[in-house]
Amino acid sequence: MSDRSIRDPQSRRLQAMGSLLAWAVYIFLLAPIVVVVPMAFGSPNELSFPPSTYSLDLFRQFLSSPAWTGPLLQSAKVASISTVVVLLVGVPAAYGIARFRFPGRGLIMGAMMSPLVIPSIVTALGFYLYFSYLRINGTTLALVLGHVMHTLPYVLVMIVAGIQKLDRNLEFGAQLMGAGRFRMFRTVVLPQLVPSLIGAGLFAFLISFDEVVISWFLSGPTTATLPVKMYSAIRWEISPIIAAVSTLLTGISLVVCLIMVALKKSTPSAG
Amino acid sequence: MNRAAELRGAVAFVTPATLITLSILAAPLLYIFYTSFGGPDFSFRAYSDLLGSALFRRTLSTTLIIALSASALSLVLGYVIALHLARQTPRRRSLYMVLVLLPFWTSVLVKCYAFTVILGRSGMVNEFLTWVSGSQVQLALILNRIGVLIGMTNYLTPFVVFPVLASLMAIDDSVYRAASVMGAKPVRIFRTVTLPLSLPGIIAGLSSVLVMALGFFIVPALLGGPRDAMLSNLVDFYTRETLDWSMAAAVGVLLLGMVVLAIAPLSVLRRKQS
Repeated sequence: MSDRSIRDPQSRRLQAMGSLLAWAVYIFLLAPIVVVVPMAFGSPNELSFPPSTYSLDLFRQFLSSPAWTGPLLQSAKVASISTVVVLLVGVPAAYGIARFRFPGRGLIMGAMMSPLVIPSIVTALGFYLYFSYLRINGTTLALVLGHVMHTLPYVLVMIVAGIQKLDRNLEFGAQLMGAGRFRMFRTVVLPQLVPSLIGAGLFAFLISFDEVVISWFLSGPTTATLPVKMYSAIRWEISPIIAAVSTLLTGISLVVCLIMVALKKSTPSAG
Repeated sequence: MNRAAELRGAVAFVTPATLITLSILAAPLLYIFYTSFGGPDFSFRAYSDLLGSALFRRTLSTTLIIALSASALSLVLGYVIALHLARQTPRRRSLYMVLVLLPFWTSVLVKCYAFTVILGRSGMVNEFLTWVSGSQVQLALILNRIGVLIGMTNYLTPFVVFPVLASLMAIDDSVYRAASVMGAKPVRIFRTVTLPLSLPGIIAGLSSVLVMALGFFIVPALLGGPRDAMLSNLVDFYTRETLDWSMAAAVGVLLLGMVVLAIAPLSVLRRKQS
């Protein structure tokens, strides 16, 4: 399109207008982050943008208040355990799905991927009713189980994509040399999968750490996660501390996002 | 590899995840259906009560209106960005892509909090308008329909950008050249070439944001008023406020049905492509 646009003044005008519109949309998309982050470094006594003075007071208040650090630790705990469990279960499953054809494969995959399209509120309600029946509602166990199912589809997609890039002949070779199925998996497949494993693990951790709806239904008074605490805080009081929490969440997202981009670049086959 | 060995391999690797999926995911979902029909004493009570309830009928129409408008808005905004990205050199494109990815990764709670600060009664927008006009302006921009639509559109737009960009990039440049050589003006080229050829991306994007929009919970709860409650909020209301689990489950089943209908065009499209 470029050669044409240079000649035609009308299309150049339209392109300029398109760019202007696009920038307006970029600004709209970024507005929440651009506003919240500077506010987090403002003073605890005023809620204004841009802040008149800058300090770390809001972060200090956040980290010295047990009402916030409890949920922060709980989120870290739930996200870490869920990530370990979902990798332990999801990575072998992804290998089985990527490498074998078997009856019921489509059905099993469909069931595992379904949380991607089922509204979180519906899965959350299902967990809530079912876990009430099992009498584990409000426990960390319930949260972990919910988050494992919620993150499993993302792990499957990423690991299946990683396995499909591997050379299957190495696996056949190892088995011909007498390695059992699991030994081959451990010594041949897993070492080659390390970038995908890190990527999927980070992704699962971030999704679990940020998840609100399922946690809102499954957590109890002592097991509330950071997003649950934040949700009720925004609902009932607009405290400036929330700006600091928001900045922390955005920072974690940014770090995970950057690591993923770096991983993608360092994987030669992903070129 | 022979069939028996293949089956043994599959069983060994897939069984743990399958068991967990059946017992922790499929069972709860089936349990919703069971609960919606009154549990052990089977009845349609919850469904007939719902259909007779003015609250439910109002929430259903609110949900449809909000979900459709938010999807349409995000489609327009997402398309504008996708067009802009498609025109860039690969280097610049990956740079601008960060401007879409960063909001994409931002927690919905952070967005809602930010919009209460930006759009509130004495928020940035009203402060600015007060300063410009010289008199006190206090437009109600949150805790109403406007707030919900702004918050949802902000969240959903990136999900439109990715599929639309993919189909724009797949259009062969020579089609544009041909259209231009034949004397088509830019607006006509957009209407007769760009738009029809990006239709798969539009359908994919629209269908996926509609599915998400139907189930929105956080945004209407935090940025909407009582009249902007969506079906998700009704599920929460029946579960926690009135403790009527059958009603909550029945709303959940209906919401699930709506999502299946919304996703149908997407799966038809996928089947056609493969």
